[in-house]
Amino acid sequence: MSLNLDPSLGLPVVYLVDDEDVVRDALAWLLRSRRLLSEGFGSAEAFWQHLQAQRGGNADWPGAPLCLVLDVRMPGTSGLELFERLAEAGLLPALPVIFLTGHGDVPTAVAAVKRGAFDFVEKPLSNNALVDRIEQALERSAAELTRRREQHVQARRLAELTERELEVMRLVTEGHPNKRIADELGISVRTVEVHRARVFEKMDVKSAVELANRLRDPPA
Amino acid sequence: MLLLVALTLLVLLTARHEASRVQDQTDALAADVAAQVRSELLRMQQGLQALPSQAAPAERWHADADELLRRNRALLRIERRSAQWQISDSANSAYAPPLFSLIGRSEMDVEAAAACSASRRSAAPMFSRSYFVPLPGGTGFEVLDLCLPVLDGGRNDGYQLATVSLQALLSGALAPEQARRHEVSFVEADGARLARAGAARGRGVYRAETLVDLAGTTLRLRMDSAAGPPSLIPNLATGAVLGLSVLLVALALLLARDVDRRARAEGLLAEALAFRKAMEDSLITGLRARTLQGQITYVNPAFCAMVGFTAEELGKAPQPPYWPPELAEAYAQRQAARLAAGAADAARSREGFETLFMRKTGERFAVMIYEAPLVDGHGQHTGWMSAVLDVSAQRRIEDLSRQQHERLQATARLATIGEMASLLSHELNQPLAAIASYASGSLNLMEQPDADTPALLRQALQRITEQAERAGRVIKSVHDFVRRREQQREAIGVDLLLEAVLPLVRLQARKSGTRIDTELPQPAPRVVCDRTMVEQVLLNLARNAIQAMEQVSDPAARVLRIRVRQTHERWVTFYLADAGPGIDRELAARLFTPFFTTRSDGMGLGLSLCRTVVEQHGGAMDFDSPVPGTHAGTEFRFTLPAAPAAVSAASADNETRTVAT
Repeated sequence: MSLNLDPSLGLPVVYLVDDEDVVRDALAWLLRSRRLLSEGFGSAEAFWQHLQAQRGGNADWPGAPLCLVLDVRMPGTSGLELFERLAEAGLLPALPVIFLTGHGDVPTAVAAVKRGAFDFVEKPLSNNALVDRIEQALERSAAELTRRREQHVQARRLAELTERELEVMRLVTEGHPNKRIADELGISVRTVEVHRARVFEKMDVKSAVELANRLRDPPA
Repeated sequence: MLLLVALTLLVLLTARHEASRVQDQTDALAADVAAQVRSELLRMQQGLQALPSQAAPAERWHADADELLRRNRALLRIERRSAQWQISDSANSAYAPPLFSLIGRSEMDVEAAAACSASRRSAAPMFSRSYFVPLPGGTGFEVLDLCLPVLDGGRNDGYQLATVSLQALLSGALAPEQARRHEVSFVEADGARLARAGAARGRGVYRAETLVDLAGTTLRLRMDSAAGPPSLIPNLATGAVLGLSVLLVALALLLARDVDRRARAEGLLAEALAFRKAMEDSLITGLRARTLQGQITYVNPAFCAMVGFTAEELGKAPQPPYWPPELAEAYAQRQAARLAAGAADAARSREGFETLFMRKTGERFAVMIYEAPLVDGHGQHTGWMSAVLDVSAQRRIEDLSRQQHERLQATARLATIGEMASLLSHELNQPLAAIASYASGSLNLMEQPDADTPALLRQALQRITEQAERAGRVIKSVHDFVRRREQQREAIGVDLLLEAVLPLVRLQARKSGTRIDTELPQPAPRVVCDRTMVEQVLLNLARNAIQAMEQVSDPAARVLRIRVRQTHERWVTFYLADAGPGIDRELAARLFTPFFTTRSDGMGLGLSLCRTVVEQHGGAMDFDSPVPGTHAGTEFRFTLPAAPAAVSAASADNETRTVAT
């Protein structure tokens, strides 16, 4: 299986956070054999600082699909603590987390998954299966990025609409005919039609149904 | 109070009445006497008038005068005088010493002369003022002259003059019985007494004065009663009434005080009762009173709440319904012994003892009982009062904390093994994970080889080698660790091993009401072992046995037997037999498999670890189900190497014991 992502989203990166150098190196090596770029960190703190530096002032973060492979148990800040921090900061959708668990940590990991972690993998790792999960995580991250971009575009489009156009759009999406909209707003049917055409144009849609769909479901 | 006022008033009025009565009497008497005196004097005057005049011969005059004197004792002397104031005749009373014997009449006729001249002027009898006529011997009479002018055809023809003794006049006027109770006297205006009569001396309390008006003079008569002021209790009736009244009042007062005191005592009693009731009701300690025969006579609400039976149910039951049926017989014996012990052993009972009671629901619970003898008002020992504390909650907490402690201890003991396992898995996981990664990566690379592939593969293989060596080192360190533990073995008495674990085992046993029988040969055999590990094995097996019996319905059947035998010169065998449901064949096959468990909270390491420990000591572990010779339960056996035969003194004094819990 190979990863098939929109190249415009940027080169996907896998973050490896594990205090065991050996494990990290071996995993990086494995990822490389699957042509995946990885970055290793020896502690949760080191990764957190890196992440802060990346995000700092960068509204477009993340610039590429990401995935975090995180060891549960680590000296200093544990993987779980780091996870909580990421969850609090609302970073999980763009940065899916896959936990690496040792013996006896399975219940913890299950709980983490319930709270939003992408998955957990028990050590010793079933290697290519892990990489498969990592790729799925990257795909989710990419989907999130796409969604954000489209949301961005839609926000921009909505921003272009005038007040009167917004009103017309609301009534159109509620399913009212032009006549009724004209009565409601106290303007002529002709004017409504003009507004309506402009809304369609600005929102880049062809019909009222399409418009309604776009507004109801934020692009996924 | 009112009564007292009335009484005082009564007494005062009675006294007042008495006083006024006496006063009235005295007044009346005074008037009486005055009248008497007046009539007497009148009679004298008439007598005097009857005397013959100047012209009559002296003999006749004397005869008449003597007659007059004799009839009137108060008359002391009668004279007949001429108009020229010459005494023509005189007669003295025979009843008194002759007057004027000391001082001549001529020297003492001033008063008489005054009277006579007045009488002559008025031509009427006239009295003189009284005067004192001394007599020889220091005595004398207060006398009074009565002058009667003898008129002869309007011409004065001399005078008849009579001298009257005032004292005799009074005596004559006073009746003898009056004389006994009164003193009567003539007094002058200034109170000086002129003459007195009467036997008694006046008390000066009731006196009456009256004036006796005579022609020419006035006599002041004073009557003085001999009666004193009336005494407070003037008569018997008043005294009796008064006495009874006082008695009545005193009785009423006593009664009132008694009633008051009684009411107060009753109030206090009611208060004390309410207080006691509140105290008993508020207690969370159960109270139970029993007769010497064991019959329950009193229980407080706390006790009822504790056992779930009502006071009536408890009072009627022939045998306490809160005794667990399986223990009732033992309790009955114990109670008999305890009740018969007598009050003298109360001190022993004071320390309290712990026992097991049953609630109405059938639930058993531990209680602490403190007993004190009940002694009645005659000092008779009639029963026992017991304070019963429900210590089940406390026991539960103790159990819990001890269980935790036990678990902690077990964990600590297992730590060596558990930690080793944990360490081992971690230490082996790292290199194994790395090896797997490199191998998988290599395979990935080999699917689509390019120019870099051989170099990368070499790198991977090198890393694999390194990690494999690392794993080898881990294994070796484990081996070293096991060897180190072997060196910690010591020779130890089996009794000491059991003593170390029995408290913990008993604790668990008590929870389910399990009895533990231990049987040790004497002297206790000694084994060479790693004490900590073997204790863990014993604890594990005992706990398993107790847990296996938890489903046994009859608590009396829950018995854990622990026996130790020296079965061979070099081996000592431990037996732990339970009376549980036993182990079926299918389960038996997997019993010693690591991580096999029938319990939800078990790790499944117990039995396999136990066997590992025993085998590390060179011994063997086995089990039989059912227990040989019976048809139920399971018996676990394991052997440990016996210490070379040198019996220690420490274990010599221990005998085969049976411990019941």
